Amino acid sequence: MSEADDIAFLLDSRGVTRDLGAFVVEAAFGRDGRSLHFALGDGTVHGLLAAEPMGDWARVGAHRGAVLALCADAAEGVLSGGDDGRLVQVTAAGEAREVAALGRKWVEHVAAHPAGVRLAAQGRQVHVLNGAGKLLKVLEHPSTVGGVALDAKGKRIAASHYNGASIWYVAASEDKPRRLEWKGSHHAIAFHPDGSHVVTAMQEMSLHGWRLADGQHMRMSGYPAKTHSLSFSAKGRWLATSGADSVVLWPFFGGGPMGKAPTEIAGGDSVICTRVACHPQQEMVAAGFEDGLVLLADIASGRILPVAPPGRGGISALAWNPTGSHLAFGTESGTAGLVDLAKR
Amino acid sequence: MSDTPRETVPVTVLTGYLGAGKTTLLNRILTENHGQKFAVVINEFGELGVDNDLVVDADEEVFEMNNGCICCTVRGDLIRILAGLMKRRDRFDGIIVETTGLADPAPVAQTFFVDEDVKKATRLDSIVTVVDAKHLAQRLNDSREAEGQIAFADLILLNKMDLVSEAEAAVVEEKIRAINPTVEVIRTTNSAAPIASVIGRDAFSLERILAREPDFLSGEDDHEHDSEVNSMSFEVSRPIDPEKFNAWMTELLANKGQDLLRTKGILAYPGEDRRFAFQAVHMIADGDYISPWKPGQERKSRIVFIGRDLNRPQLRRGFEACQVEA
Repeated sequence: MSEADDIAFLLDSRGVTRDLGAFVVEAAFGRDGRSLHFALGDGTVHGLLAAEPMGDWARVGAHRGAVLALCADAAEGVLSGGDDGRLVQVTAAGEAREVAALGRKWVEHVAAHPAGVRLAAQGRQVHVLNGAGKLLKVLEHPSTVGGVALDAKGKRIAASHYNGASIWYVAASEDKPRRLEWKGSHHAIAFHPDGSHVVTAMQEMSLHGWRLADGQHMRMSGYPAKTHSLSFSAKGRWLATSGADSVVLWPFFGGGPMGKAPTEIAGGDSVICTRVACHPQQEMVAAGFEDGLVLLADIASGRILPVAPPGRGGISALAWNPTGSHLAFGTESGTAGLVDLAKR
Repeated sequence: MSDTPRETVPVTVLTGYLGAGKTTLLNRILTENHGQKFAVVINEFGELGVDNDLVVDADEEVFEMNNGCICCTVRGDLIRILAGLMKRRDRFDGIIVETTGLADPAPVAQTFFVDEDVKKATRLDSIVTVVDAKHLAQRLNDSREAEGQIAFADLILLNKMDLVSEAEAAVVEEKIRAINPTVEVIRTTNSAAPIASVIGRDAFSLERILAREPDFLSGEDDHEHDSEVNSMSFEVSRPIDPEKFNAWMTELLANKGQDLLRTKGILAYPGEDRRFAFQAVHMIADGDYISPWKPGQERKSRIVFIGRDLNRPQLRRGFEACQVEA
């Protein structure tokens, strides 16, 4: 991708960018795909209607300090966690409503499910709330939680920490976790779409996975940088990961990933991939790189569609809308972008 | 990797026993009119409190890196917090990390050498230790941490000078130098040190290694003292064979790394005008060429070890054997 100038990037013909003036921590669409929100390091959340990107972008001060985490909320809008220890809902119209004030420690990870489950990780605790904002329970972990995930049904919670991960049931009357153990520090975490596996990214620049049926371990190593972003493809055949100078995809079929080599695509120019996001319906993956390049790759063929050229700062956020017609990205230097990939 | 490396953020680590004057120093740094803004990472909210816009609560979560190196511990919470702070990079000029009185500085220092994300965004500016002139001797007797905090420091504030006589202060300073011969000591009352002497020291840059030289008295600098941590310095005049040195140091750090807190050296390689600087924190080593020898300067290779159970004859013979054949 070194001759970037000669390549037609989709952003030029089908996209819009704005400079929001602060590190883009995360991007997320609402569940209905109508609104898109960017969470920033200055505590603001910027929202727009995906269908009208040229219109007004509503800016709201959601947190004092930085926004540290953002996801689609259980019902409307997005859910954010921040420096100020608060959990905030930002509506499609761009209004911020406090869901919970959890104390002085950073709320570093959030997750939500349409079944009416919201999670906020703060220090060693994961707070579980319902759609109305009522605190259901507080789950304690042996060390600071590095990441949280809900399974596809919204019934199980996976939280990573030092020396492994814990699996909890949202509806359990007595909270006893299943501990998945593996020595080392675990951060980013993902549930396989069919609920069969949990995978974490580790401090030691490798991934670790567990097959939940029998607890079998999976070690996936060889990364030159830390993996911060994990994304399963729509049907769960592939796990796309950041942390290498290509998009590294592990096969979760045909006996894999145990004993199988990963597939690498979009590599070759020694720039580290920082974010990945699998298309919500097709076997395609969007990837963002340290130099600001965004691309879309077809997993089967390895064919690449350039989305945004390098130069606007390292990619720090990537998000699809639920139908996969729009891709949003954000950068460390404060650029936010939206590209319309719908058939015309 | 990125073509344009961004400016890294300097991080100053403040250590010292509870009551030595650490928080007083921190508040002085924060309130003095120097035009710089700091993000502050603290562990315990003392009675004094810290008055600053950006204060982050840390947990001192120390964990072992799962990389086969037993003494390679890092501060997991610090990795997380520094990453979080980099999301509002424009709000401060530097970061100050205050550790608890019982903290071992090694995991803090190692975090800056081991974690790739931390290395990319920040640099360890210096480790500053505040000690109580009146009570240091006692602390050295009853705690391993106090020794570690002196061994790792590149600046020590010998505080509460109003409570000791000149003779007492001289004894304490001697004890400090026996543990750490290259450290700078500033005597203070109420932690009143000039901010410029505390912040922006760049003490961990290879260029500044051994900028403050200990007495290289051919190894005869045995100070009589009762603490467990000791220092030894050696000097040789023939150039150092890089291959021999690497082999020796690799083996030494692998076998003795747990006891070696800090190792620093400036080496003269044969036929090379640039000086080679070397440093290690336990087993984690870092080295590169720095500025050339000055014209007419005697090209002597020097090395300083700070650690426990150091075997002087063995270390001297090992270093001497790294010289090229006469």
